[in-house]
Amino acid sequence: MTTEISQADATTFAIVDELKARFGEANLVVQPTLTGMPVVWVAREQLIEVMRFVQQVNKPFVMLYDLHGVDERLRMHRRGLPPADFTVFYQLMSLERNSELMIKVALHEDDLRVPTLCHVYLNANWYEREVFDMFGIEFTGHPHLTRMLMPPTWNGHPLRKDYPARATEFDPYTLTMEGQDREQEALRFDPEAWGMKRHSGDTDYMFLNLGPNHPSVHGVFRIALQLDGEEVVDCVPDIGYHHRGAEKMAERQSWHSYIPYTDRIDYTGGVMNNLPYILAVEKLAGITVTPRAETIRVMMAEMFRINSHLLFLGTFLQDLGAMSPVFYTFSDRQRAYHVIEAITGFRMHPAWFRIGGVAHDLPRGWDRLVREFLDWMPPRLDEYERAMMDNSIVRERTVGIATHTTAEALTWGVTGPNLRATGLKYDLRKARPYSGYERFDFDIPVGTNGDVFDRGMLRIEEMRQSLRIIEQCLKNMPEGDYKADHPLTTPPPRDKMLQHIETLITHFLQVSWGPVLKANESFQMIEATKGLNSYYLTSDGNTMSYRTRIRTPSFAHLQHIPAVINGGFVPDLIAHLGSIDFVMADVDR
Amino acid sequence: MSYKLTRIDPDAPQSSQYPVGERRIVDDPMDDQVHRNVFMGKLENIMHNVVNWGRKNSLWPYNFGLSCCYVEMTTAFTAPHDIARFGSEVLRASPRQADVMVISGTCFIKMAPIIQELYDQMLEPKWVISMGSCANSGGMYDIYSVVQGVDKFLPIDVYIPGCPPRPEAFLQGLQLLQDSIQQERRPLTWVVGDQGVYKAEMPSQREKRRDERIAVTELRSPDEV
Repeated sequence: MTTEISQADATTFAIVDELKARFGEANLVVQPTLTGMPVVWVAREQLIEVMRFVQQVNKPFVMLYDLHGVDERLRMHRRGLPPADFTVFYQLMSLERNSELMIKVALHEDDLRVPTLCHVYLNANWYEREVFDMFGIEFTGHPHLTRMLMPPTWNGHPLRKDYPARATEFDPYTLTMEGQDREQEALRFDPEAWGMKRHSGDTDYMFLNLGPNHPSVHGVFRIALQLDGEEVVDCVPDIGYHHRGAEKMAERQSWHSYIPYTDRIDYTGGVMNNLPYILAVEKLAGITVTPRAETIRVMMAEMFRINSHLLFLGTFLQDLGAMSPVFYTFSDRQRAYHVIEAITGFRMHPAWFRIGGVAHDLPRGWDRLVREFLDWMPPRLDEYERAMMDNSIVRERTVGIATHTTAEALTWGVTGPNLRATGLKYDLRKARPYSGYERFDFDIPVGTNGDVFDRGMLRIEEMRQSLRIIEQCLKNMPEGDYKADHPLTTPPPRDKMLQHIETLITHFLQVSWGPVLKANESFQMIEATKGLNSYYLTSDGNTMSYRTRIRTPSFAHLQHIPAVINGGFVPDLIAHLGSIDFVMADVDR
Repeated sequence: MSYKLTRIDPDAPQSSQYPVGERRIVDDPMDDQVHRNVFMGKLENIMHNVVNWGRKNSLWPYNFGLSCCYVEMTTAFTAPHDIARFGSEVLRASPRQADVMVISGTCFIKMAPIIQELYDQMLEPKWVISMGSCANSGGMYDIYSVVQGVDKFLPIDVYIPGCPPRPEAFLQGLQLLQDSIQQERRPLTWVVGDQGVYKAEMPSQREKRRDERIAVTELRSPDEV
């Protein structure tokens, strides 16, 4: 395992020297990976100290971007790494350094305990609960270490390697009348367990259970509210009603056949979801794709960004009580689907990107369809801005509502449009361009107040910028192949396969077993429709991923809700839920 | 045509599995000797037809969604597909006002007791459409947290295949449900008849359309838009 450290990486890896200087070289193990960030193993006893150090170092790591675990027990290729049965990894992000840092802690089976990070990075709370749920790792000192994604009555920890993946390995599901009562009782909200009082002075608080099925929670999200009249005193979001085990699924699908599962993570994002996964796999495989494939990918990803933002706009305004916008935006979505379907052959989940390129070349006449869409949209966006966002009722409901500052957003791991609405000009497509975004000319819209209105308005402007990008794709679509000429391109280019026995065999093996990727770790982050979405892949030299960690933006955004909404009113909560643009599959995966 | 008889058991023990109640396949109750009576039989037939016609053309869907399929279901409600053409545009946010529940998305083990609760809160007559592969069978999610088909505990009237089904497929599913409702024999009052719900066993569309499907010899090339 070797990595080449280029000039640009030198600043990224500077933190390693700073850590060595502070904690001593003997106490750290630096793991070479393809992730493009330093990966440093530290002892459990030093974890909190290390975290406080990187949080306060010059050019600090302000955001806990991700935190999760790995079951290392079956991993074959671990040479040079500290012995571990389980690993907890912490991924931190620094805006000033424009880079990440990964800290890993090795754990042994008979002592699965790590000190909690909740006091250093506030947003560690939910991540630690998820790791507890999935791996059974205890976070000592955690304020409320209970199950997060699985039902409270669940047995076992699903992401452990000895836990069966398939539902068909268990007895078929049945539900009895008493079983239903039991499950419902287990879900009952207990205010005392969350340290909430039922009375205070002469006020009796009301506890309102909103969801998991409610028209304004966009799927299956539940939030328990402590109310004093209309005022939300405190609230507890409850997730896990949409956990499809996508990370476990990756451990049994081949690198290629996992692509359709990525589409369904942020299900309004379509092929946008393929992008971080495919890019991470290509890093492992060492594939450089052609400029044409890159441009096609960018164009389709931006089509889906527009599509997702249109869905957002319609439902957001509907949550505010406006009935008609959804009819307008959905007819635009229909036009977008017309283009998407002509090119990819499917509407919501095309699974169209491939390792080494895309599934198919652009069909003849694609340019006409894209041109029609580009001509159609701008006047519509102007109209939306005028008719909806200038509407005085919408303004009353949204301006100055559920505001948060940039610092708060970073503390809670908020990314994407919700972060930019606070005025921070941070867009990964500009900050660290991937898939050829450096070749495009576009602006980063930002808000000023970080309120519900800004979050809505910003997305209209983002659609305009996406149209600009698509326009440039249309005008400058490079000629060439839509697939890279590389042995791991899956499936390999067909014309080559028909001429050489070697490529025919490769094709046969890739279809029957799937491509084999060398043991290493890779990572790719993208600016997805809802914020930063990333795939952290661990290959153990097999046809399947050893561990796939999917970091989704909506998870962080939902954890942020209580900090924003406590002290506000119930209608503000609804407006806020509409404005953060989440889908539950992007939260629970 | 054969019918599926459902009889509710109000005294079912707590240990009974969902769906609770008696279910068996029977012949059309209107073919029984007692209904062959020229006067009463005809009148009953007309009554069933009229009531069913009313029911099928004003199906109020429950605003209930689980995952991706819900987006395509919502698309069917909006202007380009306009579900109002089929009398189903009255989305209800309360199960007590709704007639049809569309299980649009993946049914999770954590969610199943809640779905059952919501279904129980709906008032008869009520129907369930299972939309998409996940709801039909678990689909591509054969994984620990997913119920392998919502029919493990709910009685399903129409299954819509697809991942997700197109809005047009949802509209077709709705029309198939309407066809099936037209054939139903529900008690016309609470004093007459045996109080059983008789739902027609509708033919499988897959078999019905097989000849048409295999007759296709040329598929459109993906090289053209």
